[in-house]
Formats: sequence, structure tokens, C-alpha cells
Amino acid sequence: MNAVACSLEARKLTLAHDRTPVVVDLDLCLPTGKVTAIVGPNGCGKSTLLAGLARLHAPQGGHVLLDSSEIVRLPARELARRLALLPQEARAPEGLTVAELIGFGRQPHQSWLRQWSAEDRRVVDEALAAADLHSLADRPLDSLSGGQRQRAWIAMIIAQQTSLLLLDEPTSALDLGHQLEVFELVRQLADEGRTLAMVLHDLPIACRYADYLVAMREGRVVAAGPPGEVVTRELVRELYGVDCTLMHDPQSGAPILTGLRRIRE
Amino acid sequence: MIASAAHRRLAGQGMTLAGLLLLACLASLLWGAGDVGAERALAVLMGHGDDEARFVVGTLRGSRTLVGLAVGMALGVAGALLQAVSRNPLAEPGLLGVSAGSAFAVAIALLLGTSAATLRVGVAQLGALLGCLCVLGVARFRGLGHDPVRLVLAGAAFSGLLAALTTLLLLFDQRAADEIRFWVVGSLSGRQLADLLAILPSFAVAAAITLLIARPLAALALGERLAAGLGHHPGRVRLLAILVVALLVGGATAIAGPIAFVGLVVPFAARALAGPDIRRSLWLCLLLGPLMVLVADVISRRVVAPSELPLGVLTALCGAPVLVAVVRRRRLPML
Amino acid sequence: MTLLVQSSPRLDRVETEDAVASPRGTRRLAWGGFSVLLDRRSLAANLLLLVLVLAASLAYLCFGERTLSPAEVLAALHGTGDGLSTFLVSALRLPRLGAALATGAAFALAGCLMQTLAANRLATPGIIGIDNGATAFAVASVVGLGFGLAPPAMALAGAATATTLTFGLVLGGGTRGYRFIVAGIGVGAVFGAITNLLLARVAIDVANAAYPWTVGSLSARPEGAVWALTIGLALGLPAALALGRSLSLMGFSVSVARSLGSRLGRRRAQVLITSVALTALAVAVAGPVGMVGLLGPELARHLASRRSVPVLASALAGALIMVLADLVGRLMLSPLEIPVGIVTAVVGGPWLLWILIRPRSQGVA
Repeated sequence: MNAVACSLEARKLTLAHDRTPVVVDLDLCLPTGKVTAIVGPNGCGKSTLLAGLARLHAPQGGHVLLDSSEIVRLPARELARRLALLPQEARAPEGLTVAELIGFGRQPHQSWLRQWSAEDRRVVDEALAAADLHSLADRPLDSLSGGQRQRAWIAMIIAQQTSLLLLDEPTSALDLGHQLEVFELVRQLADEGRTLAMVLHDLPIACRYADYLVAMREGRVVAAGPPGEVVTRELVRELYGVDCTLMHDPQSGAPILTGLRRIRE
Repeated sequence: MIASAAHRRLAGQGMTLAGLLLLACLASLLWGAGDVGAERALAVLMGHGDDEARFVVGTLRGSRTLVGLAVGMALGVAGALLQAVSRNPLAEPGLLGVSAGSAFAVAIALLLGTSAATLRVGVAQLGALLGCLCVLGVARFRGLGHDPVRLVLAGAAFSGLLAALTTLLLLFDQRAADEIRFWVVGSLSGRQLADLLAILPSFAVAAAITLLIARPLAALALGERLAAGLGHHPGRVRLLAILVVALLVGGATAIAGPIAFVGLVVPFAARALAGPDIRRSLWLCLLLGPLMVLVADVISRRVVAPSELPLGVLTALCGAPVLVAVVRRRRLPML
Repeated sequence: MTLLVQSSPRLDRVETEDAVASPRGTRRLAWGGFSVLLDRRSLAANLLLLVLVLAASLAYLCFGERTLSPAEVLAALHGTGDGLSTFLVSALRLPRLGAALATGAAFALAGCLMQTLAANRLATPGIIGIDNGATAFAVASVVGLGFGLAPPAMALAGAATATTLTFGLVLGGGTRGYRFIVAGIGVGAVFGAITNLLLARVAIDVANAAYPWTVGSLSARPEGAVWALTIGLALGLPAALALGRSLSLMGFSVSVARSLGSRLGRRRAQVLITSVALTALAVAVAGPVGMVGLLGPELARHLASRRSVPVLASALAGALIMVLADLVGRLMLSPLEIPVGIVTAVVGGPWLLWILIRPRSQGVA
């Protein structure tokens, strides 16, 4: 693990909601150029952790380092040029078009005196292309399917041109086909050299699409590493209280869980 | 913003509205409740005409028209800002108790014996600020802000309370009551250039701040977390926007009394024309606001001539249906 | 309501009379095949409210620009007092007290019925625009645009129009949520504007005379209107009491109520008509004092049992609030009089806000 370069690193991070600690003394590394999935049972602090990593949630203690610099010291705009976050259930005003939405991703690069440049236009075009949304650019966001809409939101943070993207449950409300749509886009972004981290509640999906898995329980990391190494019968049992049989996907080698049974205590 | 087609469309709409606004100004100069008719007024505009007509058109109607322009711009823009800040298409200064707050503050000031025009502006703005902070503060505190309709209800209850208190205060003091009774229903009649000059500095400050915060406000429409993710400071932006709303609504209320529904109808129409991005709809609000106020003012002078109708009556008549229309939609749009 | 008339279930026949346990807090009275449940708490609440109303009424008769002792008031009521106190009590204060009691009871009863019908605690006639509709039409009659109809008749027409509009606007949307309320506020705003429009058309002194009435006041009570209200109340209160059991079913969803065997459609119509008519008649007397329609049922609900809809308690509480509010309005700035509508608005506004902002508003979906 020491050999891996970390884009974002948390050291002894403690986050609390109204003094109730949600994340406790947590150490974490998001490896550069990889897709990291943060998994765990409901209420384990995944989303709070993501908010803490993006400086949306002030830490009670500990540090978050972005490429070795303290995240709290960075000016808001500087941070927004290096780290992008897509919150859960993002909602846009009615009638906003896809291209307009993506344009918002350019705000960290704009200023009051330089509101729209050729560069902005080029980046928005690229983001449209990356998310395969060119044909939908002028459609209102409301008229898209769930998967297309989520791709548009991701395209918006692509246009932010950050090397690090954090996604909170990007597929929570989507059906299988639309989920794949989003994960393929995520994979493609990682292949282009970006670092991505997403909170997922679905362990099998996380195994399938992530290079690196962070398993959380009660505000602590219980396991971290490539899914093939980390996911064991014991881990599943510890996280979810579920017994299972572990197999491996013949194509990708990713762990597959079968024979799930809830363990009664 | 992105496609130049949208730019062109916005420019086209702007030109059309500007034309309509010019017509409304002209109408405001030509027709009044008095007996200087359109022909005599037109003669004045052509450069001749008798003294009486010249006085009525140049001084009375002229300053009244200018006041209408300023009040309309202020209310339209304030409505758009308040709606952007609260992400609530129903947030309207009049409905949320901002105007009532400033009316209440003015009533207190009058009761304490003040009368100077400039002081009244400051007091009205302070009252508007307090009203604004009250309603939005309560909304944030209780999570009411997530339910647009409930926020409006709380605002309506708040305005009703303040209106009753204002009436109560007026009972104490006959002089203040006479001074305020016509003012409290909202009207442009008899407003002078001096009144306008008293509010212009604060409007200029408001305009400057608005230009600064338009971009982050547009991002705030995507949600607080996203706006923060894009490098803005949502808390700071929200406070500044509320300050601007208070300056604008307080100023407009000080000069014309509480006028409800302009801040609802104008941004509603502007969004329908220019789309949801506040950076574009705000420009249309600048034109639509005075258009609505001036047209309502001209009508209010004509329907019951030779007396005049309070302006607030007409804006309520045309605003309440818009309110109902917005509420009736199956899914309330989030801003 | 205190009386829950149960049609005797068949099971009763196999059980002995002693075995029929009444629900907690109630007493079961049985005559032959019929049985009646007396709710102890509601009974106590109604008695308490009745005593309070009587006490407030006595205070109302005592206090004024010239204060009378209770003994003087009673003597005047018996016709044995001196000339001045008899005049003060029976010519000035007693008619006004009667109007206060009647309008308070009517507003609160109408409020209670409408809240129950809409299954929405905020849906009182004053909030959903019915008061304003009645006021606008009544003002039209006063300024001579009433098609020759008297103010009470016009108020009825106005209330019916506003009700139709508000309910029509949310057609299919249901009355439970906040949208219904805001639609009502919109309708109310339109009628409020129309009232101002009408007042702007008439001479300033006529408008000034009408002003206290448009904010709610008992100082100018049209004679005919008071009689109309009395008759309306005499019909409406028993009707509402008789509807008691159906009323408590209206809080459920339609399917539940139907599966419980209630013919809700017709009952709903009866409740709506009663509520709207009472509101209109009360408005014709005192103008829009809509806050009483919110405060009365609230107070009644706090005191009475939650088992049933507090119809009688609401009426009593409304009368109590109205009498107290008008007494305060008369005394506070004496000799100046604060319109009773202003007093209730100042008291009711914070209460309404509290209902809206407290963590869980019950009864509003």
C-alpha cells in the first residue's frame, strides 16, 4: 500500500454530526488513477466521509491532504479546480438544459471579468463528448432518462477539469442498464488517468467496477485494498451480518457473492 | 451562455420588452386621473402645450413614472434574488413578510415622531432585513425551507401578524394613521423626485452587490453542496443576497408602500422567457418589473377616475392567479 | 362531541350487560338495545368552557367606559337596576355580547367542521379565503352593487363562490396538503383586492366607515344579519352535533372510511354547506374574524378528548375567545376601540406560526 501514490489522504480524520461522532480516527488513501469504492452498511458514515473529504463537513479532528497539501488551507476556488464532488440526489432548476448544466462546471475557472472563454466552450464540448451527450446537449435535463441525467451531472463535474472526482451514490435510483451506463463512464474517466471515489451501498457492484475497495463499519475502515484481495466471507459477515459463498467472475475475476443468508444472532 | 442562439433569443426578448416598457412610460405620461387628457399631454411631449398640462405631465406624471420604474426594477429583482436564495419559486418579498416587516418598522418610526424621507428609507430597509432574516431563519431552523409551500404559509402568517400590529400601532396615533393609511396599501400617487433621490444610493449599492453575486447564485440553484464544490461560499452569498433584497424591498416600500406579488409574477415570467439561469432571467426582471408596475399604475388611475385605485390591489389581482398556478403544478419546481 | 351513539352490535346479546366494558375514560349508559358512551374528559371540557364563557360574559357586561359591579349588572338584567346601568347593560352591552357569542361560536364551529372535512388543521375558512369572499360580496352590497340583496345574502353568495374556487382549483390534488391552503390564500388575496377595489369606488367617508368592518369588528352590527346568524346557528349546531360520528371518520382516507361503512359523500356535502353558511352569516355580522376559526378548535382540541371531533367544545371555545378578544379591544385603548379582528390576529398570528414551524404538525399531511 505504501507503493501506491495517494491523490487524497485522510489522517486520523474525525467527523461528527452535532457532537455525535460519525467517522472516528479514520485513515484513508484514494490511490491515484484508480476507481475507489467506499462501501458499508447503512449509517456507517460513508456519505459523511465523502463530504469530509470534499471539505463540506468540517472535521472534529485529523487532516485531509490533497496531493500532500492540507485541504483546509486551500482557497475554495483552488480546491474546486482540483477536486469535484457530485452529491447524492443532485437537483437542478426546472428547464435547465444539459449544456447549460455542464457550463456550471466551468465556474471555478471563471471570474467576474472572464465569464466565458473559448477554453470553456472547448471543455464543455469535451465533457459532452466524454459522456456521449452531444445529441442531447440542448435538451432540458428533466426530459432525460435517469441514466442520461446522471451522465449529464457527471459531465458537469468533468468540465470542472479536476484530477479527482468524488461521487456520492451515483447510481442509487437507477435500474441495471442505467447503472452500467454510469459505471462505464466512470471506468472510462479512470482510464484517462483521473482518480475517482464513489460511495456505493451495493457490494457486488462495487466489486465489479472498483479497482480499490474501502469497507467501512461504524465510522471506521475495516478493510481496504483491491476487491479480489479484500472481500472475504468474514468481511461480508462483519459488514452486513450476512453469510455467503464467494466465487469469482470467470470474465473479470471480480468476487461474486452467492448463497446469501442473513445470520441471526 | 453557451449557445449563441440563446444569447440572440435573450437579446430579442430584451428589445421587445424594452419597447413595451417605453410604451408603458409613454402611457404613464399621457393618461392620468385628472383632466389633462392624452391630447394635451401629447402636445407637451411635442414641445408645446399649456402651463397646466406642462406641470401635470412634466412634474407630476414624470416623477411618478420614474418612481414606478425604480420600484418595479427593485421589486422584480428582489423577488428573483429571494427565490434563488431560498430555492423556492413562491418566495416573494410581499408574501414572505419582508414588505410587512418594513411597513411595520415605518409605522413605529412614524409613531416615534420621525418624518424625514431619508430616515424613513433607512428604517424601512432595516425592517425589511429583519423580516427577511426572521422568515428565512425560521425556515432554516426548522427545515421548512425544503417545503416551498409551507414556507409561504409561514410567511403569510408572519405578514398577517405584522399587518395587524401595524394597524394596532396606527390606532394609537391619528397623525401617523393619516400619513400612513394610503401608503400602507401601496401606491405611486403623489410621489416626487426627492423621494426617488433618497433611495437611489442604496439601489446603486444593491446593484453592485447583485452583479458580484449573480454567478455564485446561479450555482446555488444546483444545491448548496454543489455550489461549494464549485468553489463558492454559499453562506456568504446567501447573506449578501438577503442584504440586497432588504435594500431593494425596503427602498421600494419606503417610497411606494408594500406592493405584493410583483416579486412573484416578474421572476416567474422572466424564467418562462429566459430559462432558469438567474444570470439571464435577472436582466429580464429589470425590464418586466417596471413594465408590470407602470401598466398596473396606469390602469389604477383610469378604472375609478377621478379617484385612484391602490396599486397593490391590481398587482394582487394579477399575482394571486399566478400563485395558484404555480402551486397547482403536480411537482413543485425546485429552483 | 361527548355523545357517541353506538348502534348495539349483535355480540351484545350473548354477553351480559356487565361484560360490556366501555373504553377507557368513558362511561357507558345503556337503555335496552341502545347504548351511549359518555366521554368523561370531553364532558369536563365542555362544562369548563361553559363556566368560562359565563364568567367572561359577566365580565363583558361589567367592564367598559363605565365599570359596573356584578351586582349592578345582575340587577339591570332583572330590570331592577338604575336607569343608567340598565341602559348600559341591556341597550349597549347585551346586544353586543350576544353578537360576540354568536359570531365566535359560528366562526369556531365552521373552522372545526372545515378542518375535519379537509383533514387539514390549517384549513379554516379564514385561511382558505372564504372569509374574504364573503366580505367582498357583503361590501359590494353595502356600496350598492349587491343586485338588491342584503349583506347576509351577499355574504353567503361570496362564501359559496370562494369555496367553489378554492376547492375547484385543487381539484384532484386533495385537501390534505399545504397546496390546498396556499391555493386558498391566493383566492383570499383576490377577494381582499376586490374589497379594496370596491371601497376605492365610494366616497372616502363611506369607505372609512366600512374600514373597521373589513378588518373585523363588532361595533356596527347590521340588525338583520344578527337574526340571520342566530337562525343559522340554531340550525347549524344541532346539525353538526348529529354529524359527530361521521366527522371522526373524515380523518381517514376515503377507502378506509368507506370500508367502515360510512356514506361520506353526502356527509361531506352537509359538513361543507354548514361550515360555509355559518362563516358567511358570521362575516355578515362582524366582518372577517377568521382567526377565531383557527383558535377555537385548537383550544377545544387541547381540552377535550381526542377520541372524537370536539364540535360543541369548539363552539364554546370560539364564543369564549371572541368575547375576551372584544373585551380586550374595547378596554385596552379606551375610549378608542381596537377592532376585534386585530386583537384576534395579534393573538392568533404567533399561534399559526407555531403550528407551522413546530417539528411535527399533526393533521397536516
